[in-house]
Amino acid sequence: MSNMEDTLVETKNAISPKLGFGSSYGVATAAFIVLYFAARAILELDVETWVKVTVALLPVPAFGLFIYYYFMLVRSADELEKRMQFEALALAFPLAMMLVFTLGLLELAVPLSKDDWSYRHVFAFMPIMYFFGLFLARRRYQ
Amino acid sequence: MKNRLKVLRSERNWSQADLAERLEVSRQTVNAIETEKYDPSLPLAFRIARLFDQPIENLFECEEVEGGENR
Repeated sequence: MSNMEDTLVETKNAISPKLGFGSSYGVATAAFIVLYFAARAILELDVETWVKVTVALLPVPAFGLFIYYYFMLVRSADELEKRMQFEALALAFPLAMMLVFTLGLLELAVPLSKDDWSYRHVFAFMPIMYFFGLFLARRRYQ
Repeated sequence: MKNRLKVLRSERNWSQADLAERLEVSRQTVNAIETEKYDPSLPLAFRIARLFDQPIENLFECEEVEGGENR
């Protein structure tokens, strides 16, 4: 776990200092996390469908900001950091594809419980795959 | 690719952080170049050469690999 924490700190140090996007990126990330878990909690309640749909869409603008600031951070990063981000995403993206198509095929083979394997669960694996890729890339260039 | 970055930096008593600041890259980038785990881009290689006032071929030496591929 400490390796993962080191990866997070090194990423922040490598791509934040000379830019003004670091704090905005942090705020967008925090806003998304808060809205996402708030939406999850509200969607457990017995409310009308239109309220549920509205609440389910609430985290989207915050995630849009997160994408924008992440993109700007990577564009402003130095060349080694760009390469490490690329390698992390180059691993995470096909891994995510593999997870989705495997679950897609498995659900044709056996009934998968939505309480165990839904889009919510698949989504949670994606940042894990990204940080795993970033960890490997950082280790390679250390 | 082999390079003399560490030697030249040591001659000037610069830390990796000092050099990184002068080159406007991260300290990790300087370290990765010095340890030959990362080959800099051509623009960065020229910036390094200009900073040390050396021809670029004095700083970097390409290791020939069978098949012509370098990493």
